[in-house]
Amino acid sequence: MTKRPRKLGGVGILAVSAWALLLDAACLTHLRNAKAAYAAAQELAAHYQTEQATAAYKRALAEAALETQRTPSAQAFMLKGLAEANLGLWRDAETSFVKAAGLGFGEGEAWASDVSLLGLAVSFEELGFQEPSLRVYENLLGKSSFKPVRLTAAQRYADLILARARALADAELDRTLSDLVRTIERLEASDFACGYYHYLHSQAEGHRGRYGRSYDEAVMARELGLPSEKALRDNDLQVVFCCDKLAASLGAGEREAFAAAHAVWAKKWGWKDPRTPGWKTE
Amino acid sequence: MSKKDVESALARGVEILNEFLPAKPALYFPILYSACVWAVRRVFDYRDRILSWQVWLEPEAVLTKPDEFIVHFFLADEALHRVYAAELTAGDLKALRAAFPALYPVCGLEDAFLRGLFRKELAAGDFRTIATEFSTRAARARDDIRPAAAELGFWTALENLGEELAALGIHLLSDADVQKAVINAVKKKPAKDAKSG
Repeated sequence: MTKRPRKLGGVGILAVSAWALLLDAACLTHLRNAKAAYAAAQELAAHYQTEQATAAYKRALAEAALETQRTPSAQAFMLKGLAEANLGLWRDAETSFVKAAGLGFGEGEAWASDVSLLGLAVSFEELGFQEPSLRVYENLLGKSSFKPVRLTAAQRYADLILARARALADAELDRTLSDLVRTIERLEASDFACGYYHYLHSQAEGHRGRYGRSYDEAVMARELGLPSEKALRDNDLQVVFCCDKLAASLGAGEREAFAAAHAVWAKKWGWKDPRTPGWKTE
Repeated sequence: MSKKDVESALARGVEILNEFLPAKPALYFPILYSACVWAVRRVFDYRDRILSWQVWLEPEAVLTKPDEFIVHFFLADEALHRVYAAELTAGDLKALRAAFPALYPVCGLEDAFLRGLFRKELAAGDFRTIATEFSTRAARARDDIRPAAAELGFWTALENLGEELAALGIHLLSDADVQKAVINAVKKKPAKDAKSG
């Protein structure tokens, strides 16, 4: 015996319409929530509240993912890809950007290609093939317009060059470090407000033994903001290291002036004392 | 803030861990201590905090350091200086460089989970054991936590615990008091453990 489909009465039609409206509103809410969370994450990252920024990127990703399931659109996939890229989920980001490009997002294809290249270079590096990974990082630094890719490529490039430089003789070491600093300066020129480039600059100057410059760049990095807690803490320890090195090399008058200036920064950053960052246990 | 409330919240934390990681009591302290540290800072995305101590999702820090930085790291920390005095005096950079990748995240960058994992060694000033066992123990901890990590309920329970600890005002306790409270909670035998003997 077959059941006849029941006709919808007035109440049923109303219920279905209400359900459709609710669904529609939920979709709008997901997109709006994703945008709001992404904007909040960027704001937090700019003020080096790194854990909160990461949490906000995750919220943005979750909301954007729901939106792509319910109403796939270029905007939803772009937001999803952006959140994934900021969380270092390169493969997922590549897929999202490809989908965003397919739905009409102009830059999607280029971003997907950059993210894919970065993933490839990371894999090369993990397998011990430093030369090809260096070439890819260098290429991305020169051409990528996608900031998360540029930041990661810059860090990996700098770390590889610094590791390599350790094995070099003095003259070659100096030339290699100078080249690295020039590369970082070009990055700074393209985005001077990016604290991470100043952090990399500080690290490179530390390798050159230029502690005054390294200190200045580390202070700039802290003031402009850093994208991770790990980088922030490492940068703080670089500040302390430079302070000690400078204190040992400066004359009495200069040392006092430097100590007074540094004490102002330390107070502003909420450090326990000029040599102890706030996050450090005693 | 009531210290008793914090203690009972931590006792519930031990019950949660006993439920999800019954055979891994060595992980109770690092997980609960990390939860407390993050609760103080009102950060509740524990899942990635705990699972990604080696794989930070944002751009990494530059970990290739010059010799001067490494020597400074060992000299600046009184306890490290004492333990590595022979290497420092002899200028044995090879030995210092070998120990640095393990000791810098624990004693320099102060990763909460890693500090919990090596609590006993840190308390005893046994940095050489940390340097020797770092890779193995960190990898083992990550493998041990994996079964529980796959269960959403585990993270939800931990996050709820963190929010409760934050609401109870755990930030008013000193780090030493937090550690003491966690140790006491872990030492008390949870029911399930008692049953299994």
